[in-house]
Amino acid sequence: MKAFRILGLAGALFAAVTATGAMAQTAQPVELKGDVKIDRLVTENGAARHVLSEPEVVVPGDRLIFSTAYRNAGAAAVRNFVVTNPVPEGVMLAPEGAGTLEVSVDGGKNWGKLAVLALANGQGGTRPAQSSDVTHLRWMLSTLAPGAQGTLTYNAIVR
Amino acid sequence: MNRNFAHRLRPALGLATAFTIAAFPGCASAAGVTAGTVIQNIATATFTSGASSGTVQSNTVSVKVDELLDVAVAGLTVAPVPTGSTSAVLSYSVTNTGNGSEAFRILVDPAVAGNQFDATIQTIAIDTNGNSTYDPGVDQILANGTATPAIAADGSLRLFAIVNLPASATDGQNSQIRLTAEAVTGIGTPGTSFAGQGAGGGDAVVGASGASASGLDAIVASLAGVALTKSAVLVDQFGGAQPVPGAVITYSLVATVSGTGQAESLHVTDAIPAGTTYQAGTLKLQGAALTDASDGDQGVASASGIDVNLGTVTGGNTRTVSFDVKIN
Repeated sequence: MKAFRILGLAGALFAAVTATGAMAQTAQPVELKGDVKIDRLVTENGAARHVLSEPEVVVPGDRLIFSTAYRNAGAAAVRNFVVTNPVPEGVMLAPEGAGTLEVSVDGGKNWGKLAVLALANGQGGTRPAQSSDVTHLRWMLSTLAPGAQGTLTYNAIVR
Repeated sequence: MNRNFAHRLRPALGLATAFTIAAFPGCASAAGVTAGTVIQNIATATFTSGASSGTVQSNTVSVKVDELLDVAVAGLTVAPVPTGSTSAVLSYSVTNTGNGSEAFRILVDPAVAGNQFDATIQTIAIDTNGNSTYDPGVDQILANGTATPAIAADGSLRLFAIVNLPASATDGQNSQIRLTAEAVTGIGTPGTSFAGQGAGGGDAVVGASGASASGLDAIVASLAGVALTKSAVLVDQFGGAQPVPGAVITYSLVATVSGTGQAESLHVTDAIPAGTTYQAGTLKLQGAALTDASDGDQGVASASGIDVNLGTVTGGNTRTVSFDVKIN
């Protein structure tokens, strides 16, 4: 329940921000809606399966799935649609599936697939970046037709 | 908004390794992100629509991290502590391997399966001043079954169990003493949760340790046994060995101390036999003369008997006391 209480508060804050934004320019044609679920591996009759649920209780080591649903609510097509998501403090990008995402390990300065990114190793050289090094995620969609929608997700592990 | 700001600042810090540490202050601990930390996720989209461009933010998705109840206990005494008449001080470490501040109930159990005897628990204490040595009167005493003060996540506390040998123990016997620490919030099978009882305002969840752990230390009984043998050599005044009046008997008392421990305050005493007279100045220890008077040396002798104070003698040693009497 506490998660919802915090969400409600954040929602109010968000509303205030968009209200001020609306005064300066026209209403945003694109909507983003974030969500999070906890991903638990449940073993039943010897078979393990993933069960997604509301993150009522979250402890280090738990797996979270963050999602951002987008929708072009406007009447015109939207181009150069780029969604950027900083990896929150307290979690790291899960290794599974991390390789397919466009990521940054330097705070959003340089981008690429994890396999091509490197970090200073503290001894004058570099080392290959790992999923736990990821600071930002990015999704680039060229065009959103009116009414187009989808969901972007990433898996994280509570540090 | 704050999040984006923080991330923009990061590249200015330079080295990637430097900012990795700076970016996740909550994960410096091995136990994971601190209980009560709120994980907040915000996505931002940029786009162009016709001639104008726009930016839109998602709502903030928040997840509060609950408290993981975990603990590790280790017995710090490497070899069994030889224990005789004085008590043994055993050391244990209790480490909060959870992610929140937690107090732990301490139970010291001397009845461990396989013990040859069970020690007596005298005192349980916390190494309050952190010097790894039990300081009576300084280190806080803990009653068996009561809780430590709260230990910070990843923090560790040294505990002492002061134990005594029971009267039943014999030399060389071993005994283990178990110290168990249980999270005060609760214990149980991993995953058991305690709603609203976590550090930082969330729930508390039992971790892999079951929120309970124990460690073992051991003592070995180090005791001594004393055997006393008495022999006599008779020499008469005619060069023979006849028990006639005037013959001199030299008594030898051999104290043999056995075992791995030590005999303390060991005295060899003997009465002068009736019909004989102690010969002044003949009391000897290990062949060396002792004065008869009660003075600086270890021996006292009089017409009634002798008393030699051997003090502390460790196992494997013998002490020989001798004195002469004359048959009346």
